[in-house]
Amino acid sequence: MFGLPLAFTSPWLLMALISLPIIWWLLRLTPPKPQEEVFPPTRILARLQEKEETPAQSPWWLTLLRLLMAALVIFAMAGPILNPDETALKGDGPIMIVMDDGWASAQEWETRRNTALVLIEEAKNAGRTVILESTAGHENWTGEPLSPEEAASLLQASESIAIEPDHSKTAQRIKAKIKSNNPGQIVWLSDGLSREGTKQLGDTIISTNKATTLYQADIENLLLIETISNEPKELFGTLARAQSDGAQEASIIARDLKGLVISRTNALFNDGETKTRFAFDGPVELRNQIARLEVETAKNAAAVQLLDDNNRRRLVGLISGENFDRNQPLLSPLYYISRALEPFSDLRRADDANVTASVPELINQGVSAIALADVGVITEAAEKQLTKWINEGGVLIRFSGPRLAASPEGNLLPVAIRPGDRNLGGALSWETPKSLAPFERDSPFFGINPPRDVLVKKQLLALQETNLEEKTWATLEDGTPLVTAKKQGAGWIILYHVGSDADWSNLPLSGTFVEMLRRTVNLSRSNGTIPSNNETISLPPLRVLNGEGQFIPPETSIKPLVISAGDSKTVTPENPPGFYGTEDGFTALNLFEEETNLVPITQEGFIGDFEKQNYLTGASFDFKIWLIVLAAILLLIDCLAVLWMAGALRTKRPTRSAVANISILVVGLWVLTNTSPVFAQETDENFDFQSALKTRLAYVVTGITDVDNISEAGMRGLTFFISSRTALEPGEPIGLDISQDELSFYSLIYWPVDPRAELPSPETVARIDAYMKEGGSILFDTRDQVSGVLGGTSASPAAKTLQQILSTLDIPPLEPVPTDHVLTKSFYLLERFPGRYAGGELWVEKSQNLNPVEGRRPARAGDGVSSIMITSNDMAGAWAVDGSLRPLLPTIPPDPTQRNYAYRSGVNLMMYALTGNYKADQVHLPALLQRLGQ
Amino acid sequence: MAPLGAIVQRESGRDTIERARARASLIPSLLVEAQRVANTVFSGWHGRRKRGVGENFWQFRPYTPGENMSRIDWRRSARDESHIYVQDKEWQATHTVWLWVDESPSMLFKSDAATVAKQSRALVLAFAMAELLAKSGERVGWLGLTRPILSRNAAEKLAEALILGKPQTEFPKAPDLGQHSDLIIISDFLDPVEQVSGQLESLFKRGTRGHVVQMVDPVEEVFPYKGRVEFSDPETGEKFTAGNAEMLKAQYEAEIAARSEAIRQTTNKLGWSFTRHHTDRLASEALVQLHTHLGERAL
Repeated sequence: MFGLPLAFTSPWLLMALISLPIIWWLLRLTPPKPQEEVFPPTRILARLQEKEETPAQSPWWLTLLRLLMAALVIFAMAGPILNPDETALKGDGPIMIVMDDGWASAQEWETRRNTALVLIEEAKNAGRTVILESTAGHENWTGEPLSPEEAASLLQASESIAIEPDHSKTAQRIKAKIKSNNPGQIVWLSDGLSREGTKQLGDTIISTNKATTLYQADIENLLLIETISNEPKELFGTLARAQSDGAQEASIIARDLKGLVISRTNALFNDGETKTRFAFDGPVELRNQIARLEVETAKNAAAVQLLDDNNRRRLVGLISGENFDRNQPLLSPLYYISRALEPFSDLRRADDANVTASVPELINQGVSAIALADVGVITEAAEKQLTKWINEGGVLIRFSGPRLAASPEGNLLPVAIRPGDRNLGGALSWETPKSLAPFERDSPFFGINPPRDVLVKKQLLALQETNLEEKTWATLEDGTPLVTAKKQGAGWIILYHVGSDADWSNLPLSGTFVEMLRRTVNLSRSNGTIPSNNETISLPPLRVLNGEGQFIPPETSIKPLVISAGDSKTVTPENPPGFYGTEDGFTALNLFEEETNLVPITQEGFIGDFEKQNYLTGASFDFKIWLIVLAAILLLIDCLAVLWMAGALRTKRPTRSAVANISILVVGLWVLTNTSPVFAQETDENFDFQSALKTRLAYVVTGITDVDNISEAGMRGLTFFISSRTALEPGEPIGLDISQDELSFYSLIYWPVDPRAELPSPETVARIDAYMKEGGSILFDTRDQVSGVLGGTSASPAAKTLQQILSTLDIPPLEPVPTDHVLTKSFYLLERFPGRYAGGELWVEKSQNLNPVEGRRPARAGDGVSSIMITSNDMAGAWAVDGSLRPLLPTIPPDPTQRNYAYRSGVNLMMYALTGNYKADQVHLPALLQRLGQ
Repeated sequence: MAPLGAIVQRESGRDTIERARARASLIPSLLVEAQRVANTVFSGWHGRRKRGVGENFWQFRPYTPGENMSRIDWRRSARDESHIYVQDKEWQATHTVWLWVDESPSMLFKSDAATVAKQSRALVLAFAMAELLAKSGERVGWLGLTRPILSRNAAEKLAEALILGKPQTEFPKAPDLGQHSDLIIISDFLDPVEQVSGQLESLFKRGTRGHVVQMVDPVEEVFPYKGRVEFSDPETGEKFTAGNAEMLKAQYEAEIAARSEAIRQTTNKLGWSFTRHHTDRLASEALVQLHTHLGERAL
C-alpha cells in the first residue's frame, strides 16, 4: 500500500478516518453546560482564577495532538503490518509440501506451520490442491492430493513429533508420489539440519525439474543433550549445538519424576565449539532422583534426556572373607571389585568381616547389590536375611576364592559347585590358561568383546545339571562356566567362578571386568528391563515426549517398546522418546544417546539449486501495538499539557506535593517489594534513635482516641512549658505502645488509666515491672479525682482498673507526697500537685526514714526516684493545649492559677524523674532551707 | 448531579431558641456526667452584683447626707414625698456579654455534608450561650438590637428581639460596647481578610474582649467539586465558571487555610479567642470551646 510494504488486516476500519473532522468539531465545540452551584466563597475562587487566565478554547496544538491520537488509534485498529507475508507460487498442478516435522522443528513449529498455511492459503486462491509429506512420519498425512481446506485443517491439528526425520525413506516415498501426482511445485520446509539421506531427498526433489523451493531454518538455538554418565562425584552430560560461532550459554535443569526441579547447572559453549560438558554435583542419593534433564530455553525433545534406573548409581555393599586390613591393598580381594564398580556405583564396605553382622548392616543401608568376595560359609541367620533381600530384588554377586572352594555349600549359589578348584596351566597340568569365549546372545554380557589376552588360570567348576546352560552367562573357551546366575524371587544370585583378585585370572585387571560388573549390578532393581535370556520384553508406554519435549500421556498409536536381548532401543514413530514400563520399573528411551553431530543443511551439496526462502517470521512486522503505545504516550503528554495549562505544575506548592506524591509512590513500591519485617525493623531503629538522642515526654497509648488525644496534647503543652521555663528542651512527645516499644529511653511515662482500655497482658506487665526496676518512673493518672478512690471512699472504675494493673506488679508501699519530699522542690516549690482537678493527692513510694532518731523526714528518698506515682487529678487534661498553645480543657474550678500549678507540677515531676535525688542532696539542703525560710 | 449545596430559608429565633435550649441544657449535663462539677463551671466568673462605679443602673436608695449632690436622681425623688433618692450604678466589673450573629446571605448556605445552615448553627450557638450566661446571672445583649438584658429568660428575649428586628447583615458598629464586656461574634468571615481584620480591630479599640467564631460549611473547606461548575455568590450574585473545578482544589484549600490563619493571627494579636466551627460537627463542640475561652478570659 502506498508503495510501502504495508498491509492492513482490516482496511475498512480506515474509513473511520473520515470521522476525524467530526472529532475536531467536537473538540472545538463549546464545553457542556456547567453544573450550577451556590458557593459562598465564590469571590475567593474568582480571585484565584484571575491569576490563571485560562483561554476559553484549547490551543490549536492541543487539538492537533488529540486528532493525532485519534488517527493513531484508528490506524492501529486497522491492523497495519509492515512487510506482510507473501510467497509466490510457481507452476501449476498440485503443490507438494515436504515438511520436516521432527524434533528439530518443534521449537519453531508455529512459524513452520504458519508458513505452510500461508502456502496452502495461496494454493486455495489459485485453486490448486496440496500434497502434504511428512519426513518424520505423521501417519495421517497420506501424501495424496488434498483440497487446501482439508490440508489446512490437517496441518492445524498436527504437532511436531519427537523423532528424527528419516530423509532417505521420504525420498523413496515421494519419488513414487511425484510420478503419480505430478505436482507443479515442490516446497521443502526444512528444519535446517542435514542428516543421513538429506542429500538423497534433495536430489530427488531437484531431479523432478519442477519449481523447487527450500525453506531454510535458523538452527542457532538448537541444542541437544547427547550423553549422560553418572560418575562417582558428578553427573556429567554432553551438550551439542548445530553452529559453532560465538559463545553461548545454556542452563540445564534436572527434575525428578514428579517434575520438580532438583538442580540447575550452566554449560558454556566457547566460540568455535559445538560440544560442551555440564555436570551436576551433589549427593548420590539426590542425583539418583534425577529423572529428566532439560535445556531450559530449548523446546525440543532432543534437549531432554530421560534417566532411568540404568543411569542411577547403585549402592553396592562389599564383604570380604579376608581381613582387608592388609598392608598390601593390591592383594585385597575387594580392591579390583572396588575399582571396577566405582565408576557407576557407590560402595559401602562392611565394617565387619563377620558376614552375619555385616549383612544386615548393609541391607539397612539400602544397597542394591552385595558383592561377596571369597566368602565360604554363610551362617544361617545371614543366609535367611540375604535370601529375603534377594527375593525383594537384591543382587548377590559372589566371587570365588580359596574359602569358597573349600566349602562350596549353601543355597546362595546359582549352581552346585564341585569342591576344590580347577587349575589351568599349572606345573602339574598340561592345560594352558584359558581365555573367554564370546558371549552368547542370550547373555546379559552380549555385546562386550572379551579381549583375547584375558586368561583364567584357576576356576571353580560347576556340577553338571540339566539347566546349567541356561544359568550360564559366560564361559571359557572350553565351555566351562565362568559366570553363572540364578534368578530368585525378584533378585539374582550371580557367581563368578574366578576370584576377585588377580590370583586366579587377569580378568579383574581388564576393562571387560568393569563392563561385566556394570551389567551385573544393573540387574538390581531394574525389574527385568534387560532381558537376560533370548527373549524379548515388551514395555508399555508410560509417559512419552512430544516434539517440544513435554511429557504427554501416550496416545493409542504408540506401541509398546519391544527390547530383545542385546538390541539397542531405537526411537520410531511408534516408539517416541519417553518412559516405557510401569511405575515400578521403567526404561528411558531418548532421541540421542550417542554422540551426534548436527550439520546445517547449507553444507549439503545438492545436484541442483533450490530457490531459497526464509520462514515467514521476523519479516512481517505488526506495529499495531506500537501505534497504540504511541497513542498512549500522546495521551500522557495531553494530560501533562492540561495539567500545565491549569497551573498544577507551575506554582511551587503543588509541585512539591506532586514530588511528595511521587516519592510516596516510590517509597510505597519500595516497601511493597521489600519484606515488611525488614521495614519494620528499620523504622524501629529510627524510632529508637530519635528517642535515644533527645529526652522526650512519653505517654502510654491506651487505644481510646479521646484519651490519647488529650495525652498527646498534654505532653505537647508540658513540653512547651518545660522548654520555655527550664534548661530542658524535650523533643516531640511520643505515644508508646506499652506492649511493644522499647521503654528504656524514657525516664517518665505518663499513663492515663481508663476502664475502657485493655488490661496489659502478663508479658507487658513483666516489661513494665522491668522498666520500673531499671529506674523508670510511671505516672498513673486515674483522672477521676471527684469520684476517685484516692480522693473519696469508694473505688471508681478507673481506680479499679489501676488496681488490676498494679495487682501483678511489684509495688512498694505508697504514701501521699510528704511536704518535704523532693518532688515539692525539684524545680518549683510546690505544696500540691493539681491537674484539671485540684483535690487529688499525688501518691509516691513511701520514703525510707533513714534517720529515725532525728525524727523528721529528710528530703531524700533513698537513692532512687519513686518508680511509681499515682494521681487522680488528670494532669494531661490541664496541660493539654491546641495547635496555638491555648488550653483545650477548662480546669475545675476554672482557675488559671491552678493550670499554672499543674504545669509546675509537671515540671517538678519531670525534673524529679530526670535528676532523681539530686535536689535532695545534703549539699543543697542549707540553701533550700534558707529559701523555705526554715 | 444535584448541586452540593443550597441557600436555605432564614431561620428565626423562634425555632432556634428551642434547639439552643436543648444544646445549652446539654452542656451542664455533659459536664456533670463527665466530671460532676457542673456547678463549679458556672460560678466565679466575676464578683456578684454590687453597687459601685459603673455605667448601668443598679438601684435607687435614699440619699444620705454628705453624699455628692450630683448623684441625686431628681426624677425619682420627685415622685416620692418623703425621700430623696440616689441612683446607684452597678459595679463596673459586672459582666456583660454581647452577642452578634452575621445573618448575611452567605450564612444561609447549607451543603449536603452539613446538617444545618451556618446561620442556623450560629443562632443556636448564640442562644445557647445566652441561655448559659443568663442562667449564671450574666447580662447578655445582642449587638445592634438590644441592650444588655439581665434576666433568667434573657435568651428568649433576645430571640424575640431578633424576630422583630431586621436581619443583621452588616458588621455591627457597636456604639453600646462597654470597656469590660465580652463580645461573641459569629460569622463566616468571607469578606476580604483586610476588611475583616479592620472591623475586628475597630471593635478592639473599644476595649472589648472578643470571641470570634468562624462558621465553616465542610464543603467550603474540602472543595469536593469536580468538572465544569458555575459557582454563584449568594451575597453579591457574582458568577464564576470553573472549567475543571478539581484543578482549583489545591489552590483553593490553601487559600482558605491561609484566610483562616490570617483571621486567627488577627485575633491572637488582639488577644481574642478564635474558634472554628464546622457545621457538620456538633454544636456542643463549639459551645464547650467557647465556654472555655470565656471562662479563661473572664479571670
